[in-house]
Amino acid sequence: MIYVENLKKEFKKTIKDPGLKGSIKSFFKPKNEIITAVNDISFHVPKGEILGFIGPNGAGKSTVIKMLTGILTPTSGKCEINGQIPYKNRKNYVKEIGVVFGQRTQLWWDLALRETYTVLKEIYEVDDENYKKRMAFLNEALELEDFITSPVRTLSLGQRMRADIAASLLHSPKVLFLDEPTIGLDVVVKDNIRKAIKAINEEENTTVILTTHDLQDVENLCNRIVMIDKGLKVFDGEVSDLKRRFGQARELNFVPENAESINDLDYKNEFLLNEDDLSVENNGVSVTVRFNSDMVSVEKMLNYTLSKTHVKDINVTDADIEEIIKGIYRSEVSLDA
Amino acid sequence: MRKVFKIYRPFTHAGVLLAAQYRINFFFFILGDILRCFINYFLWHAVFTSGGEKTFAGFSETDMVVYIFISFLTSVIAYSDGSYAVGEEIRDGNIAMRMIKPIRFDLAFLFQELGERLITITLIFVPMMLGVEVYKFAVTGVIGFNILNFILYLFSLILAYLITFYFNVCYGYSAFILKNLWGANFLKDCIVGFLSGGVIPLAFLPPAVAVTLNLLPFASQTYIPVMMYVGMFDVPTIIYSFALQIFWLIFFIILQQIIWNACVKRMSVQGG
Amino acid sequence: MNLLRKIHRMFKLHRIFIKQDLKKLMEYKIDFLTGAIGMLLTQAINIFFLSVIFARIPSLEGYSFEQIIFIYGFALLPKAIDHLFFDNLWAIGHFIIRKGDFDKYLTRPVSTLFAVTVEKFQVDAFGELVVGIMLLGYSIPRIGVNINFINVILFIVSIFFATFIYTGVKLITSAIAFWTKRSGNITYMFYMINDFAKYPTTIYNRLVRTVITYIVPFAFTAFFPASYFITGGNPWFNIGGTVLMSAVLMVLGIFVWNKGVSAYESAGS
Repeated sequence: MIYVENLKKEFKKTIKDPGLKGSIKSFFKPKNEIITAVNDISFHVPKGEILGFIGPNGAGKSTVIKMLTGILTPTSGKCEINGQIPYKNRKNYVKEIGVVFGQRTQLWWDLALRETYTVLKEIYEVDDENYKKRMAFLNEALELEDFITSPVRTLSLGQRMRADIAASLLHSPKVLFLDEPTIGLDVVVKDNIRKAIKAINEEENTTVILTTHDLQDVENLCNRIVMIDKGLKVFDGEVSDLKRRFGQARELNFVPENAESINDLDYKNEFLLNEDDLSVENNGVSVTVRFNSDMVSVEKMLNYTLSKTHVKDINVTDADIEEIIKGIYRSEVSLDA
Repeated sequence: MRKVFKIYRPFTHAGVLLAAQYRINFFFFILGDILRCFINYFLWHAVFTSGGEKTFAGFSETDMVVYIFISFLTSVIAYSDGSYAVGEEIRDGNIAMRMIKPIRFDLAFLFQELGERLITITLIFVPMMLGVEVYKFAVTGVIGFNILNFILYLFSLILAYLITFYFNVCYGYSAFILKNLWGANFLKDCIVGFLSGGVIPLAFLPPAVAVTLNLLPFASQTYIPVMMYVGMFDVPTIIYSFALQIFWLIFFIILQQIIWNACVKRMSVQGG
Repeated sequence: MNLLRKIHRMFKLHRIFIKQDLKKLMEYKIDFLTGAIGMLLTQAINIFFLSVIFARIPSLEGYSFEQIIFIYGFALLPKAIDHLFFDNLWAIGHFIIRKGDFDKYLTRPVSTLFAVTVEKFQVDAFGELVVGIMLLGYSIPRIGVNINFINVILFIVSIFFATFIYTGVKLITSAIAFWTKRSGNITYMFYMINDFAKYPTTIYNRLVRTVITYIVPFAFTAFFPASYFITGGNPWFNIGGTVLMSAVLMVLGIFVWNKGVSAYESAGS
């Protein structure tokens, strides 16, 4: 379905010395610097999968999406989607994909929402019968009914996102690209959007590629994730795989009966681990201990804790994916330094 | 007075930075407008050639050319974004923020515009002024620069700018009542442009009309300073014109103050 | 057949947007009205200005007041039509590219140029259109234009092609933004040259004449074709030149635009 091989994108950036003199100099003799935004990325997505594309800001996520959607031409490497190459014969290619950029709308600001769909119907040459069916389906999945006659500029952020997703699906694309589809939305709205994406994926077997900052998106939606950092792929696999490989982190939470008794606990000296494998946080009411269960078993940790203090409440959880990814980023940073 | 300068100098500085940041854009924009001066120049040149007379309504061809360019320069300097800026602040509600700060709304704007104007003066005003004088020299063969006229012009120009500024601030307040969208400002610019003598010297109009227009504040914005520069006013007219400009300036400052106080009252009573 | 379908689709899309812009106009009635009055007044002041001048001279470089009005009115028509249909090109140079909003046009299965221009139908242009027609209506009977079948055809042809001289200039200058991110004021500067076209080119010096005839050929949007209708002379240069210049500018414009889009595709924003 989607094949990406050794995809690479370099940008030329003009370096300017400060001040007027610098401006004049760079006007006549520009100094350029090559920046590699995406470096040698390969992956493959089978039909019907939801792939999460994650990475910190500036990692190159958007650049990859822009290459896959035909907006940017790669410097080298290959990508093929449905047997088509995005940046060649763009007009034909985009008929088979839907794109949503979370931070900007593709809807016409001043038109009533319904009119936007009428325009898109013409642009994508959807015939009347299909259009009717499609609108009925999208209406159900995204609940457009309430605001379909309002001008787009009056929609709330959540409504606008639903409308945008519907707009990208009107022509029944085989692949849907979502760049930060839940950005800036509140928890309830986020959840609705996720449900809708899931429903569309299940109903029509649409392949979905989404980039996000919100790891809740990933946990709820994605079968698989590709993580990139500084233009390089750092992880490619299933979410559970990520947890297995990097996720030995556990969290121990407890509320001591007597706050003073905490002073008797000295995890550092008991287990002799470094900061990455063990950290303690005490907010005065409850205590959180994060630890690597490869180094200390859960049993030992519990035993030690309970031997030193009486607790009102105690539990141990898997660290969520957010923690894992933070850990990976942190280690990246520390490797650099 | 020194204290005022000390408080408001940061606004001037911000204005300079703002203008410097957009200087290339601004430069192209002004260049587009200067083209219009050249069209008028050629048009009047053709008029004088076709007419066969040496002067029209007291203007020789050289006077006319000087009028075209100096009136353009005057309108570039005596220009204010006040009506847009104030209207914008009223629409987005920022005006309430101005009320809780211990500085005067009008002065903050004024000093910011002065900063922007410094850039305009160095980039546009001085070179074009020199150009006009070189032209006069090339045509007449004598150095026609009259220092006295120039000083009168500068004084009149400063008054013209202040009148324009306060007029526009007053106009901007109308956004409280009208919605003041694009159309209203466009209409205002169009009317003011004509009534201030920016299109054609008021002396070309029928005498009754010319006298009336002279009294209105618009003439004080462009026509009066330019006539000072061209040197076509006699001494009584000069004194009279200055008095008129000062009258209008005081009028708009007071009007502005009245509207501002009314706004503050309304805001504190109705909460905006 | 395919082409016909394409054209049909283009018209349909235009119709949807025109309908919307007219609706919007009703929503902002007062703003539209004040703006339109402003437009009318600007033109009225210019005409008044001309009449003040002509009160003192019998003719300008051999042209009567009515003839000047004819040229002036003629100049307004192509300007208004371009304004009506291709106004969104301004937005390209002012903010669409700078704000990164161009991406969405690249994800549409239609040409980027069509996708951009179809979005806006600038109703403000009606002011210019109405004034232009009024001025032609006033001047045509007074200057003895020969009204016959060929002239009517030539009139339509010259207005049509003159429109694309405006569009071409806007196209080339706004496409500069694909490299520089911002070019709105460059467009403004070049666009302002159109004001030269409202008067006979004979009043200008040689430099200006050369520029507005061969470099930024706005003289072909008004003075040249209008002078054919006034004198009946030199149709090959006056009308043919309009067609040729318009074609050259549009070919060049589309070429620069496409180059710009591919530069954008490799650099992004």
